[in-house]
Amino acid sequence: MKIVVDQVKCQNHGLCAISAPANFALDTDGKLQYHESFNEENIDDIEDAVDSCPLQAITLSRDAA
Amino acid sequence: MARQPTTSYLDITGEHFRMNSEEVRKARTTHWYARTEWGIAVLTYEDSSFLLKHPQLTQGSAKWPAQHGVVGGRFDTWWQKTLLVLEGDEHNRIRRLVNPAFSARQIEPMHDRFRSLADELIDDWIDHGQTEFASGFAAPYATRILCMMLGIAEHDWKKIHELAATIGLGLGVTIKQNIASIDDAVVELTRYARSLVQSRRESPRNDVLSTLVATRDADAGKLSDEELVNLVILLIFAGIDTTRNQLALSIESFSKQPDQWEKLAADPDRYATKAVEEALRVNPIGRWISREAAETFQHRERTIEKGSTVHLFTLISATDPAEFGNPDRIDLEVERSPHFAFGGGIHHCLGHFVARADIGVALSAMATRITDLRIGEGAEWLPDSGNTGAVTLPITFAQRH
Ligand code: SF4
Repeated sequence: MKIVVDQVKCQNHGLCAISAPANFALDTDGKLQYHESFNEENIDDIEDAVDSCPLQAITLSRDAA
Repeated sequence: MARQPTTSYLDITGEHFRMNSEEVRKARTTHWYARTEWGIAVLTYEDSSFLLKHPQLTQGSAKWPAQHGVVGGRFDTWWQKTLLVLEGDEHNRIRRLVNPAFSARQIEPMHDRFRSLADELIDDWIDHGQTEFASGFAAPYATRILCMMLGIAEHDWKKIHELAATIGLGLGVTIKQNIASIDDAVVELTRYARSLVQSRRESPRNDVLSTLVATRDADAGKLSDEELVNLVILLIFAGIDTTRNQLALSIESFSKQPDQWEKLAADPDRYATKAVEEALRVNPIGRWISREAAETFQHRERTIEKGSTVHLFTLISATDPAEFGNPDRIDLEVERSPHFAFGGGIHHCLGHFVARADIGVALSAMATRITDLRIGEGAEWLPDSGNTGAVTLPITFAQRH
């Protein structure tokens, strides 16, 4: 599974970075940076990030890239 | 010295100041910001979007009571610890813990109950062809949904509504003269919140409050009991007025565009979401969002000094013709850029999924049952502020058959 953020929807609010700091962060320009792949042990945090994004811009995709 | 561009001055302190005025629109055509008594006002969509999420701009609400001579009482003590005011790690820790309780997934199962409540309230006056919308729908709907979510007995709604309104006075410019009753309301709500928490701990139910209590008991980093009680007070205070006021503003906007109201009525499943977004865009309760500069920084040609206030004018940025076609009209068919009625950045409104859901259900219920919606004589509006809305909103209509 990998993380996919819809870059058109994303407004860089950064709530995902609060929920799952291991995978999401805002850079110094305030733009979202994220890792597509993640550690299974972080799955709860990542699901919280998916849920808490105001734009619902984050999805988890099953196809191994 | 670099030459500063000419910018307009807007007197936002005056009681006749209206965000939606020619004066403000004209200022938007001249420059990206205007000067005001309390710091600059950002007018364009592009600059609002950028500055709203700027890392050097913090919420800056902590000083509010002190600015009005209120220090150290029950309200102030509570206020200093609310999510609205906290910054940095403390804010992030609590926000991370409580976000999941307010996700779309948690709210979805409540839609049917929202709809039954809306229909029940409409039943009370639909035969009369007129009602006073603020007290006949908006207040009981917003308050009873909050009661539903926290699992408070709905027949207590009037009491809850009153306490929330009293605490709401804490955000008004008359805070100092009302502080005794505001402090009392905080004491009473604290007692109430404690007993609610206690009862959910003893017998959890299927409500948001039980989810929060479970968060307090189970998760790493936990909420303390104090934090939990503090949050419950914030939810009661912030959850009621906002929805109530936004409902009235939405009804006002749709009354001016019967074609869009009919469109919503014909297919609410398709248009409800868009109807809410468009109402929030053209007529938001929060006419401006305030931020404070944590450091001095430069934006375009303007130096924004540490400690200065920046107002982001939501309605004006969300009707900026540089971003939106036919910007002042609600259009349920068009894809629009996101508005900032729920604020933005990490302080983005916690309750936005709830608000979007319950306003969407309310507008659908109203539109499917009512046509020829008009605002009657004697509507009374609060001044433009961070939370504007209707004091009274008489409406007339025909029943849809
Ligand atoms: S929470 Fe959503 S909108 Fe905000 S930065 Fe993360 S993905 Fe983007």
